[in-house]
Amino acid sequence: MAEGERQRTIPRIGVDEWVATVEERVERGLAGRAREAWGRVPAGVKLASLVVVPALVPLLTQDDYLLQVAIDTVVFMLLAVGLNVAVGFAGLLDLGYVAFFGFGAYTYAMFASDHTGLHFQAPLVLLIVAVTGTALGFLVGLPSWRLVGDYLAIVTLFFLQIFSTILVNGDRLQLPFLEKEIAKLDGGLTRGPNGISNLDPMNWLGWKLTSLTQYFYLALIAFALALVALHSLNNSRIGRAWRALREEPLAAELMGMPVNWLKLLAFATGSVIAALTGTIFAAEQGAVFPSSVDVTVLITLYAMVILGGAGDLAGVAIGAIVISVALEALRTPSNASWVFYIALALTLPALVRPWRWQLVALLVGATVGFGFAVRAIVEAAWPAGTGGRPLGEASIDDWVSSWVLLQRNATPEVPTALGKTAFVALIVAVLGLTVLKGRRRLVALVPTLYLAACVWENVLVPQSAVTRYIILGALLVGMMAARPQGLLGKTRVEIV
Amino acid sequence: MDWERFFSLTVDGATRGSVYALIALGFSMVYGILKLLNFAHGDVFMVGGFIGWGVIGALGGATSPVVPAWAVIVLMVVAAMVGCSLLGVTLERFAYRPLRQAPRIAPLISALGASFFLQNSVLLLFGADFKQYETIDLAGGALYLQGIDWGAFHISLVRIVVIAVAIAMMVALSGLVYRTQLGKAMRATAYDREAAAMMGIDVDRVIMAAFFVGSALAGAAGVLVGLFTGSVNHFMGFNFGLKAFTAAVVGGIGSIPGAMLGGLVIGFAEAYAAYIDPSLRWRDLLVFSLLVLVMIFRPSGLLGRPEIQKV
Amino acid sequence: MTPVLELRGVTKSFGGLRVLDHVDLTVAEGEIVSLIGPNGAGKTTVFNVITGVYRPDEGDILLDGRSIVGLPPHQITRLGVARTFQTLRLFLNMTVKENVMAAAYGHTKAGLWRSILRTPGQRREEREIERLAEEKLAFFGQRLVGYRFDQPAYSLSYANRRRLEIARAMAAKPRILLLDEPAAGMNPVETQEITQLIGKLRQEAGYTILVIEHDMHVVEGISDRVVALDHGVKIAEGSFEEVATDPRVIEAYLGVQAEAARK
Repeated sequence: MAEGERQRTIPRIGVDEWVATVEERVERGLAGRAREAWGRVPAGVKLASLVVVPALVPLLTQDDYLLQVAIDTVVFMLLAVGLNVAVGFAGLLDLGYVAFFGFGAYTYAMFASDHTGLHFQAPLVLLIVAVTGTALGFLVGLPSWRLVGDYLAIVTLFFLQIFSTILVNGDRLQLPFLEKEIAKLDGGLTRGPNGISNLDPMNWLGWKLTSLTQYFYLALIAFALALVALHSLNNSRIGRAWRALREEPLAAELMGMPVNWLKLLAFATGSVIAALTGTIFAAEQGAVFPSSVDVTVLITLYAMVILGGAGDLAGVAIGAIVISVALEALRTPSNASWVFYIALALTLPALVRPWRWQLVALLVGATVGFGFAVRAIVEAAWPAGTGGRPLGEASIDDWVSSWVLLQRNATPEVPTALGKTAFVALIVAVLGLTVLKGRRRLVALVPTLYLAACVWENVLVPQSAVTRYIILGALLVGMMAARPQGLLGKTRVEIV
Repeated sequence: MDWERFFSLTVDGATRGSVYALIALGFSMVYGILKLLNFAHGDVFMVGGFIGWGVIGALGGATSPVVPAWAVIVLMVVAAMVGCSLLGVTLERFAYRPLRQAPRIAPLISALGASFFLQNSVLLLFGADFKQYETIDLAGGALYLQGIDWGAFHISLVRIVVIAVAIAMMVALSGLVYRTQLGKAMRATAYDREAAAMMGIDVDRVIMAAFFVGSALAGAAGVLVGLFTGSVNHFMGFNFGLKAFTAAVVGGIGSIPGAMLGGLVIGFAEAYAAYIDPSLRWRDLLVFSLLVLVMIFRPSGLLGRPEIQKV
Repeated sequence: MTPVLELRGVTKSFGGLRVLDHVDLTVAEGEIVSLIGPNGAGKTTVFNVITGVYRPDEGDILLDGRSIVGLPPHQITRLGVARTFQTLRLFLNMTVKENVMAAAYGHTKAGLWRSILRTPGQRREEREIERLAEEKLAFFGQRLVGYRFDQPAYSLSYANRRRLEIARAMAAKPRILLLDEPAAGMNPVETQEITQLIGKLRQEAGYTILVIEHDMHVVEGISDRVVALDHGVKIAEGSFEEVATDPRVIEAYLGVQAEAARK
């Protein structure tokens, strides 16, 4: 029924009627206006500000923790723009990408650490990584000649699995011609699950990088170079051919574009960026572990690319910043509490369309009132369901604990029965919300928001490490359903 | 040749293989109809294992269940099938249906996200430790102590149960697909979705049915794995899912007999890998390499048909 | 003189079904040849074997006397064959101009490093590609120029999409253009226009053209020669009048009743 109605009101894509009204379908609401403004900023300004603004961080703070977060963020930005080459530019689902990050990191560990006794200088290691990374990128890209879509995705995922198996079991690995050398190493080639530590600081022709600030600027310079290179590439005939390949592979081939070569080029370009990033990261950390090559990192990167808008360089970099900072904030319960309320303050106005501040105020007021009412009822009926202490920051503690339901005497490690039930109920409520339309959705939003706040304080904050990944998963599904082009991307049209 | 070892590996291969086949069937049915690789399918299977664990706990645990041992197993399997089929249908409705008209990469990313979401939700709700089925205690250890013995050769009861349940499911599925109206609609939709829709087949319903049936089989598989390995954990969906997908591809994705055959091939390959690599550390690598080779050199699988590109 | 395109005994089967059966076909320099036949006669398959989408089971395909069988499609395009598609295959989310610029890939050179470093040569080439695209789009009058340059292709109407596909094929600098039902789905006025346009393509731009068309008015208006296919077999060849009155062609289109009706 609902399907039929929608088809009657919106003319079918590509039909003349639809073409004629294309200008009228501009987005309304606050989010739409923000996107419009963003679209008017010239690409050069966007990209420059992505380098200049982060460059100010070490001038503002010398706090080790904050600098470390800044470095991690820039590393994620590099990885995300690299992944964007295959996924965004060329439309190829590369699930083996993270392996290259690990490859670069472990290569640095092999050539510049006490583990092997080799202490190569940084430029030499980077050169080795670039060359071998390209070769490996071509190799992993090869299946793309025969496989598309799902098959390609799964083969590249197997590559990631194979690589991670090698790292974990590498302490027993033997290589032809190197048996004697490997036998001498403590803990075999890769030292297995223990990883390799005590890597050299990067040695640039005698100048050793030791401080976090130095590594931050090194990563930022690498990011700036990658950004400029990818931007130029995207606006060249190769970038055009990648887009053509993404849109219509067969037509691209028949219009003279060597599709197979272009696919390899996309894989290899991204792979090199990931491998070099891995090298920088390994040197900064001073250690490498097989856990840096797992599906979790991969999903995180995909969430960054999708959130920002696959194919849009600046968008992807911003997606990386947002997710990297959010993940860091969620690492400890004391910060985690804030994330929910900040995210809510940012997304709630965007959810209300057409934009009216009165409506938002009404929604917030209703949710707060609803919360107090529910809490009062529960307190009377089941006192154990209220009065627990939230783990969040003290400043909002009192306020929150007098509003949400929090089971008393809970241990933070074990989710409470209340929390578990509310979590499942929240999933059902959110799914239900997607089915409702118009005013009903707004009304249903009130209890859902309150439920979300309860779930947040009961389970998600105490278990913030797991929460991060639940959110990433939900983000991928939600973005694909609601805005596959990303928060900042332009609407794309698909005719199947 | 050590026949005793060979026989026990063969039994192990058949057990694992029949579980892979059950999961592979769900992959294959969904792929046949939607051309979608449902990454979250492995996690549906994992949820099945957890439902089984919940049921055995609710029935008083394996040591002293309130109902007879056979009823425990039946209830676990049934509950997991019901729960997982609902989960599968929900997934389809909310994660995949909105993307019917989207480019192929979109549902894949959605599936990846759904898989990650399910896995971590289970981790959040139940914790990271292995959930023990304690099947060793069921009916005084009968599942492991009893069985069929021919001299040195021994098949334990639990493996007989697993293989028998899997075979029964597959027979039932074949009946559904080849003998009922719904099965006919499924095959028609898999062959050509648009034409099927024009012939008056409710394609959305058929897709939902495929998710329903496929997820039910995966749920049953989750319980079976819990029975013969003794425990389940939130991470098992990933590995079993990948292997089962491998099985579906090796057999020829979209083909139901292919999924069964592929499951057994992978099961035996994994079991006999012990001959090449007794440490079992590289076993997964062997299986995955096998898959990469099949995909590149015979993407249509053992029993699949090659596709003709339409212009 | 060697013909621009020559098919010699080209045969192609799918499974047990023979879609093309020893088809011979030549197109001479500057000629416009129409390929007609009922649905399923194998017309589009002819285009697909020429452009390398399918490899013929038997027979040879010569472009300027050189065999192109077995070459990958993009190389065949580089050698001088460009086509349009019956079911439009535009790069929908790229702009109108980009669609055309993309097709210049085969005859431009700037590689990865020159593109990253934006060398003067690369920038000159980019400007040339852009000029080429604007020139090809201007071929269609005011329809695809000006503000339309930067609109996404999906915003175009159906007829304009067909025009854009032709412009894109032109940008590949072909020796021979293969047009697959250029007038399909167009109204009578647009059909009239496309007929004139195909003539203009030869006169002003000098293309050799092989066209599949169902609309007999278009076929009559443009063709130097007409080739009729049925069930993968060439059943008639000659001027429009000769082919249109050929009893085998009439039979193919109308069935055996035509035979009976004449008696």
